[in-house]
Amino acid sequence: MMTYSITLATLDGKKIQFNCESSQTVQDAAEEAGFFPPAICKMGSCGSCLAVCDSGDYQLKNYSEGLLPSNAEKTKDILLCRTYPQSDLVIHAPYGSDKIQNHEEIPRDATVIEIKTLAERTVYLVLQLSEDEENGLAFNFEPGQFVELEIPELELKRAYSIANTTNWEGRLEFLIRLQDQGQFSQFLQNQAKEGQALKVHGPGGTFGLHGQSLKPRCFIAGGTGLAPFLSILRRMADWGEDHPTQLFLGVNNEAEIFCGQELNDLQQSLAKLKVTICVWKPMGEWDGFRGTPADALVEYLKQADVLPDLYLCGPPKLVEITTEIALKQGISAENIYCERFS
Amino acid sequence: MFCYQCDQTTRSETGDGCATTKGVCGKDSTTSDLQDLLAYAIKGIAQYAKRARDLGKTDKKADEFILYGLFTTLTNVNFNANRFVELIHEAVEIRDRVKALYETAAKEQGQTIEELKGPASFIPASRQDDLLMQAQWGAILRDRDAVGDDIVGLRAMMLYGLKGTAAYAYHALVLGYEDDEVYAGIEKTLDFLSCDPTDANDLLAGNMEVGTVNLKVMEMLDAANTGNFGVQEPAQARITPVKGKAILVSGHDLKDLQELLEQTKDKGINIYTHGEMLPAHAYPKLRAYPHLVGNYGGAWQNQNEEFAAFPGSILMTSNCLIEPTGAYKQRIFTAGPVGWQGVRHLENHDFAPLIQIASAMPGFKEDTPEKSVTVGFGRHAVLGVADKVVDAVKSGAIKHFFLIGGCDGAAPGRNYYTELAEKTPDDSVILTLGCGKYRFHEQDFGNIGGIPRLLDIGQCNDTYSAIQIASTLADAFECEVNELPLSFMVSWFEQKAVAILLTLLSLGIRGIHLGPSLPAFITPSVLAILVDKFDLKGNGDPAEDLAAALKQAA
Repeated sequence: MMTYSITLATLDGKKIQFNCESSQTVQDAAEEAGFFPPAICKMGSCGSCLAVCDSGDYQLKNYSEGLLPSNAEKTKDILLCRTYPQSDLVIHAPYGSDKIQNHEEIPRDATVIEIKTLAERTVYLVLQLSEDEENGLAFNFEPGQFVELEIPELELKRAYSIANTTNWEGRLEFLIRLQDQGQFSQFLQNQAKEGQALKVHGPGGTFGLHGQSLKPRCFIAGGTGLAPFLSILRRMADWGEDHPTQLFLGVNNEAEIFCGQELNDLQQSLAKLKVTICVWKPMGEWDGFRGTPADALVEYLKQADVLPDLYLCGPPKLVEITTEIALKQGISAENIYCERFS
Repeated sequence: MFCYQCDQTTRSETGDGCATTKGVCGKDSTTSDLQDLLAYAIKGIAQYAKRARDLGKTDKKADEFILYGLFTTLTNVNFNANRFVELIHEAVEIRDRVKALYETAAKEQGQTIEELKGPASFIPASRQDDLLMQAQWGAILRDRDAVGDDIVGLRAMMLYGLKGTAAYAYHALVLGYEDDEVYAGIEKTLDFLSCDPTDANDLLAGNMEVGTVNLKVMEMLDAANTGNFGVQEPAQARITPVKGKAILVSGHDLKDLQELLEQTKDKGINIYTHGEMLPAHAYPKLRAYPHLVGNYGGAWQNQNEEFAAFPGSILMTSNCLIEPTGAYKQRIFTAGPVGWQGVRHLENHDFAPLIQIASAMPGFKEDTPEKSVTVGFGRHAVLGVADKVVDAVKSGAIKHFFLIGGCDGAAPGRNYYTELAEKTPDDSVILTLGCGKYRFHEQDFGNIGGIPRLLDIGQCNDTYSAIQIASTLADAFECEVNELPLSFMVSWFEQKAVAILLTLLSLGIRGIHLGPSLPAFITPSVLAILVDKFDLKGNGDPAEDLAAALKQAA
């Protein structure tokens, strides 16, 4: 077994160094050395430990497809919890050093206070956090981040983006797409009811607004990929921070449309927000946009006076197609931010 | 970007100034360029406002915008690029309104309408990329090759002094105090700068004029503070936390503090001051609120650690904000001219979100043993015992006064002031103002015949108080201020301190020690002039500077 030196650099220019054995993941080695970089599931399924390797050789083992781009080998995108070094590594993280804790994250207790069907195969779930000695009801997250919800008795964990904004009342809202074979979906459909106890891990992820940019914003949401955008837009409205923003929400048919009223209300509060609901295969007389968000993006970019910052959240396929379109139309890779469903 | 307006600016052999993608303060190049362009657009307002005023016409909203707009460009105030885009467009709208006011008045009075150029005719681009291209018109170094570093530096010093003056005037404005003479002075000097002056003597005179306007502004702010909150009285400010929920208020804006104290009455939340807000404890009408329990933390540069550890919400009312870390970004709020992208801004004293967070958070879990510092030796307190002070000087009990005033900062060289204070002889009195005092104000310096050796005059703007004290002592001794056994040891960091320096120079104060390092915009040739005219000194070894100061005054 070999031991290698790992250097983890953060956005603020700081670096931490620790040793890692070849049989150990970089995340485990960091924790052993007393550093706790953001990581929630630690099994390659949530994407909260995403980073980029600048130099060195490594093996990436067993992670959910779609968390990393298909050419991750070339882009050197890695998940710290799935990376085994084969030489010294220099890694840069997409967050500042303040996100690296000196203790393991303790999950918060929560209960379901509302659960309802919003549209076909889409559930709206609201949790209430329990008061905590250290934080009270506070739960510190940035719009765009996700948490991992755990059902202890089923030993089941799933990551979902938070749809509301920080509120200091311990309220967390989620938009969840029901999957036919999904265990969590089964649970939501058949068992979950008000009062159900859950654990909340996180928050995690670095998806969120790059608000310092002067460019217009273009948000592309595939289905419940709307959740992080709803959080971002709600905050823009709360804070009175209007900015030229186009949101494309993609659904399969009219029955899947959800949050229509809320999006209308947001357009009332944010004069520079334009919402386009893209229905791929309308069943009836749909007079809105017919097609996918990718189709809508092509049209939008053709007419754009200034190329926007592009924010993508949805199934991996949608993210890949829209990224390709954007790059082709001249948006540089550094102005594309994405969150993929795993 | 190019910016050298504060003390921490990058210094190198190839030239001083922050000129990469991000300044030392955390301001990115886009924000920096837009700040330059805003200052340029504001000069355009001033060009017309001055001429309208000459014809007896004024636009109050335009006058106020000039103060607010310049304040946003101070170091550590507003870092939000999109906010500056809005402000630039707003500035041009206001300029066009004042232009119409001027042209109508000129026509009515049978005067020839002047065709103004430069900022007066600036049309901001609608595309953001083009706007950034236009920023070169307001850039500090725009014509350096043609006019040289001395002229660029003199213009910069004047603009920075004006920024500081505008900030102080804005503080007074929010307390309901303003003065046409001040607006006229600010607009006249901005108009002068809008013509890109190239004569060093004219620029030196312009700088002195800014100093004179700033004296008037500080007098107005002194009247605003005492008028609203009573005259400062010596008092103890607790510097250790008490058990309970908590809100921290930083910056200089006492009005924000008072509004918050009102809104948190009987809510079971304790209010703490931070940084330059410490002197609030000396004002009777603020002290009257029992839940103003103390001061938390040290000077501004320690805020990342101290705010992270503060178990409540935080309000930043004016300068001095630095990039909030994730540990407290959700619970810090900005008000007035302050801003940081991703930090919530509160308008119109609506502090409900601040209060909600403080209520949700646990607050301090226990009392920490009480410790306090003495504040409140403004001019009223000191001059109230002026005869005692004069007697002490006459009897030789007090041999020297050191005014150690100005900003604190992270630079290691600022230990100079701690060492200096510690080495002052026992028969000298230390007068402090600004946040530089945090380096030594917890120490016990003893007293001279009942007069404490460390007298805190207040915030940096209370330099006005210090000037009044010095003038009164000079009258008592029938001498000039320069002949008093008084040394000015000024620690500067940002543009309010530049305004204060210009005020002291405009009053003819000689022998000021300016540190920890001399401003990058003061070139060797300009320094030579300031040394010649005002005997301005840079910091050397504290013991040697102290010995020289004592010898000179003896």
